[in-house]
Amino acid sequence: MTKTQPDISRDTLHAYVDGQLSAETRAAVERHLDDHPADAALVAAWQRDGDALRALYDPVAGETVPASLSPHRIARQRRVRLTEWRRLAAAGLVLTLLGSAAGWYGRGLAGGRQVATASLLDRAVAAHNLYVGEVVHPVEVAAAQDAHLARWLSKRLDRTIVIPDLRPTGFALVGGRLLPDGPGPAAQFMYEDTQGRRVTLYVKPTTEGGKSSFRFAEAGPVAALFWRDARISCALVGELQRSELQAIATSAYEQLG
Amino acid sequence: MPDFLDEIEACVPALRRYARALTRDAERADDLVQDCLERAIRKRGLWRPTGPLRAWLFRILLNTYRNDLRRDRRAPLSLPIDALSGEPPSPAGQPGRLALADTARALDKLTDEQREALLLVAIEGLSYAEAANALGIPLGTLMSRIARARETLRDLLDAPPRLRTVK
Repeated sequence: MTKTQPDISRDTLHAYVDGQLSAETRAAVERHLDDHPADAALVAAWQRDGDALRALYDPVAGETVPASLSPHRIARQRRVRLTEWRRLAAAGLVLTLLGSAAGWYGRGLAGGRQVATASLLDRAVAAHNLYVGEVVHPVEVAAAQDAHLARWLSKRLDRTIVIPDLRPTGFALVGGRLLPDGPGPAAQFMYEDTQGRRVTLYVKPTTEGGKSSFRFAEAGPVAALFWRDARISCALVGELQRSELQAIATSAYEQLG
Repeated sequence: MPDFLDEIEACVPALRRYARALTRDAERADDLVQDCLERAIRKRGLWRPTGPLRAWLFRILLNTYRNDLRRDRRAPLSLPIDALSGEPPSPAGQPGRLALADTARALDKLTDEQREALLLVAIEGLSYAEAANALGIPLGTLMSRIARARETLRDLLDAPPRLRTVK
């Protein structure tokens, strides 16, 4: 802007009120206002409005800041939360390996493999609890049609499934059913002994994670042994002692290949 | 990162002031600031130490505020009751007090966009560039919003008094 600049735009007047101009332009605006009383009155009114806004809200900045708004405190609470989270995750993982029910709470906190294991367990136990008490329709396909059952489930799981014969351990096949396992399929085989105790074997294709040895977990009265190879992931669930469950699982494992 | 937290802490009074002016509700304003601080501390890795921390914090605050507005529009309308809670203590009956009350009422009538822009510059003293950055809008848009906000405010306050005293 030259010193003879006659036209001061409205935008420039606003920028003047907001203190956004260079010293040179500011001086030009002030000369303009001297010669233009209407603009000067307008600018003065805008400045008064600005003063009123500051008078309204400036006192807030002078107030004592509540402790809840201390960044140090917020960061500290965040650290505590993260530490607890990690501790829980570690504890959950360790307890899963130790075979404690508490380990179940570790699901979702640890790596993908533990998550896969935890969800397999959750679903196997949920399916067990749902069907084990079923008197009329405990299975979809009864043991009498075991050849058909094996073919059907092998096809649906895209894996050759040999239905384990657990009679040497005292448990006879009741039958089996197809279940949803997240986006994919799973099979459940139910076995029963002469006392009417039932165990279920949950089988799903392995989609993630590598081979895993037997692991044990329990939730309330229900205990589960699970294992996984490159082909299938399995969980044996029942209200049995660990040693008894272990014997059945070993037999099932050997026959499933 | 104590330096970072100290720098944020230095901005908290200004964030509270701006939030109060935006919401006209002391409790809601402090909730907004707390959300903003938590986000800032969580996202501190995204802040470039060379950039202006203040503008970055205002941007986070504004995003939080707008998210709240969007949510509130879907929720039942609740109007802030203590619209004048920011008013400084002054003896009743003084003309200054009435004028401030008028200004506060007029501020309520601006659009959200106008109010956000005007307050950043008029109360917080941000430069146009900082304010445009905090609002995520081009400089020209910012300037026209401020101009419209200030002129609307003036028109409202210039309106005949009877219009403002009608019950």
